[in-house]
Amino acid sequence: MTLLDISDYTLDLPDGTRLLDGVSLTVAVGETVGLVGESGSGKSLTARSVLGMQPRGATTGGSVRLDGREVLGAPAGDLLAVRRSSAGMVFQDPRAGINPMRTIGDHLTETLRLVDGRSKSDAEARAVELLRAVRLPRPEDHLRQYPHELSGGMLQRVMIAGALTSSPRLLICDEPTTALDVTTQAEIISVLGEQRATRGMGMLFITHDLNLAASICDRVYVMNAGRVEEEGDARRVFRNPQAAYTRRLVAATPTIASIGPLGPVVIGEATDAASAPRSVVELPRAVDAEAPMLDVRSIAKTYHLHGKPPVRAVVDASIEIPLGSALAVVGESGSGKSTLARMIVGLESADTGEILVDGVVRTAMPRRRAERLAHSRSVQMVFQDPYLSLDPRISAGRAIEDTLRLHSTLTSRDARTRVLDLLEQVGLGERHATAVPRTLSGGQRQRVAIARALAVEPDVLVMDEATSALDVSVQAQVLDLVAGIRRERGLTVLFISHDLAVVRRVCEQTVVMRSGEIVERGATATLLERPRHPYTRLLLDSVPRPDWDLDALAAIDRTEGVPA
Amino acid sequence: MTAGRRVAGKLGALLLTLFLASLLVFFSRFLVPGDPVSFLLRGRKPTPEAIAQVTAQYGLDLPPWQQYLQWLGGVLVGDFGRSLQYRQDVTTVIGERLPVTLGLVLMAGAMIAIVGLTAGIIAALKRGRVLDRSVLVFLTMLGAIPSFVGSIVLIAVFAVQLGWFPSFGSGEGFLDTLYHLVLPSIALAVVFVVLVGKVTRSSMVDQLGREHVEVATSRGLKRGTVIRRHVLRNAIGPILTVSGLLVAGLLVASSIVEAAFGLAGIGSLLVQSVDRLDFPVVQAIVLFVVFAFVVVNAIIDILEPWIDPRSAAGAGAR
Repeated sequence: MTLLDISDYTLDLPDGTRLLDGVSLTVAVGETVGLVGESGSGKSLTARSVLGMQPRGATTGGSVRLDGREVLGAPAGDLLAVRRSSAGMVFQDPRAGINPMRTIGDHLTETLRLVDGRSKSDAEARAVELLRAVRLPRPEDHLRQYPHELSGGMLQRVMIAGALTSSPRLLICDEPTTALDVTTQAEIISVLGEQRATRGMGMLFITHDLNLAASICDRVYVMNAGRVEEEGDARRVFRNPQAAYTRRLVAATPTIASIGPLGPVVIGEATDAASAPRSVVELPRAVDAEAPMLDVRSIAKTYHLHGKPPVRAVVDASIEIPLGSALAVVGESGSGKSTLARMIVGLESADTGEILVDGVVRTAMPRRRAERLAHSRSVQMVFQDPYLSLDPRISAGRAIEDTLRLHSTLTSRDARTRVLDLLEQVGLGERHATAVPRTLSGGQRQRVAIARALAVEPDVLVMDEATSALDVSVQAQVLDLVAGIRRERGLTVLFISHDLAVVRRVCEQTVVMRSGEIVERGATATLLERPRHPYTRLLLDSVPRPDWDLDALAAIDRTEGVPA
Repeated sequence: MTAGRRVAGKLGALLLTLFLASLLVFFSRFLVPGDPVSFLLRGRKPTPEAIAQVTAQYGLDLPPWQQYLQWLGGVLVGDFGRSLQYRQDVTTVIGERLPVTLGLVLMAGAMIAIVGLTAGIIAALKRGRVLDRSVLVFLTMLGAIPSFVGSIVLIAVFAVQLGWFPSFGSGEGFLDTLYHLVLPSIALAVVFVVLVGKVTRSSMVDQLGREHVEVATSRGLKRGTVIRRHVLRNAIGPILTVSGLLVAGLLVASSIVEAAFGLAGIGSLLVQSVDRLDFPVVQAIVLFVVFAFVVVNAIIDILEPWIDPRSAAGAGAR
């Protein structure tokens, strides 16, 4: 029986922009349907439309029927009824999605008390029951807690429990695990699957992650630019994509399973990057295996927070990267990988240990201007979010030129030439030099950030989750770009990431961090194929793939007791 | 950190602030030109003996730090010395006038809260629309009217032309006092409404865009409930902070309004006492204003964990 039936649904903004163009999809009772696409594809908009939450002033066409009732153009009272009984929604970021100023209990019982008119004790009993259903350890205690007292994974369970308070027939999940660590993601997915099965709900699962969609959905719809590009059996679409867009998307999606050459993947609007000159030049210096370019010797960092037990962020970590090589540091949030990067870049001071870059000691945090300049000439960092790391009022060219002028005495003309040179290296052109970040896409911004980091020709480039905020196709472009620059210039790279699949594409060597300690290290391919440490194995097993066995994973999780 | 320790810490900071303020208030008089003794003996040709006697009588012959300690000792038991112009205890002089100013400030505060919050909420809910812009323009316009101009306009229209309200004095008895304070309160409130209105608007607009508001909406709560429980509730913090900062401004601005409406409050008393070098009164009033400001803001600080539970967990929690 069809639960949700969207047919030929269009949505236009007041200014005439068409955001959704003839979207049709169905979800049957008990079915899990994936809605896959990159940012701006309209997948979240489609999902919100089911609950009548369109942008203000938008005009709609076609039909969205939930449980036989038309949602489009329904009066406000009917929309409230839809939200109160027919469909529930789980949002992406539980930190943002649960009111930080109210207790967990208030979040859960609010609709029960205010909408269903239940008594406080009755509502709390129901809330406890739901918290137990999503496998939270101490339901009664959690009711009195505030969101900041719970971890992201626990909060997402609260969000799921909150969506279930209305016993919905359809559960819409909008990227419910994107903000979470990979092991936590596996847990949340298994909770969602269990609830869907026991309650016989239909589930509309929105994600940008094709691997995830293929591993948990019955059918998927692939969306791009407001249209459905392809639909069909989830695994079939993943293994044998028909539409050109889906093929590109599958190709760009990094996997830990397939072993292939680190070749460039050309997808989407990557043409400008692909056509950029790729002349192979000799490595600037002979590879010297004796002295590593970056040599970090048992550094440690402990944070002493006021009134709290000290946090050992990094414990006795040692890494070495030979010239021209790339090392990945992999770990979940709180593993200390970013602290490690920040100490190397000189944004934090190490408590003990030593950091050598190209044989020069760079342990101390630079204080004076000359020290800062010297440090930043040797190590440069590309940050996670190019929307935040570029000054919104400074054009791309100026941003790079400023860096050049700070570190050298180039004339204006030479500096400009060099800027264009750098922009070309990252696959951008003269027209991008005058563009302010606002007018650039996420991928273009990250290219500018990389060009800026390369401008001073650093000995070591640190990339801290530099592709995590990007769409898969853009991520693929940026990864190719880094691979290309490494080939051409023999750049030494420290690549911080939570994503094992991405790491496989970029780095020869990988270390795995957990709670500040390096638990395993080795060649990336070996480490991914034959992990020795149980934590590495758990990480690998938690990465979604089409033949994913969640029950087995849950078993590992419990028997080996590897907490997040 | 426990709530008790936090409150104790705040109280300690409050006492320190008051102590520093007392130093500033007391010693600033030595920077001001003019000699209190010549004011006391104005119009006469005093003999040196008379000068010495008056100087000793008011303790002005002691070194400044001893004068300070004497003064502070008195202040701690509620004795602010004698007013030079009224030849009465400062406490008596201020005590007669304080209720008028407090009434004025409280009534103006209530008006600011009601009008500012309402305007801010309306503007936030209609953000980007004509009503939002009109409210903002109107508030900004009000904020640009100085209190003395506002007072004159109000007197001219509502007291003289329409005759609805009295234009002078503070009246007899409670209700009559309230009635007399209506126009002065409006004149005082007008300038400050814009601050509260704008903070309310921006704080609410910030919350309206948050995902937890969308989540609440998706769960089938009525819009009014969502606004009340999730938008307004979370927007309170900045509004309270700004309101606390307004206290000093209100007390100071009241002097202008009191003068315009012929009210015998501490604001007009302050102006008059400065004019006549009546240092004990000036010191007492300034200390009172500082005290009121610091205490109100300390209370708001202490309330913070109840307003935003994250602040109790320290800066580390987001």
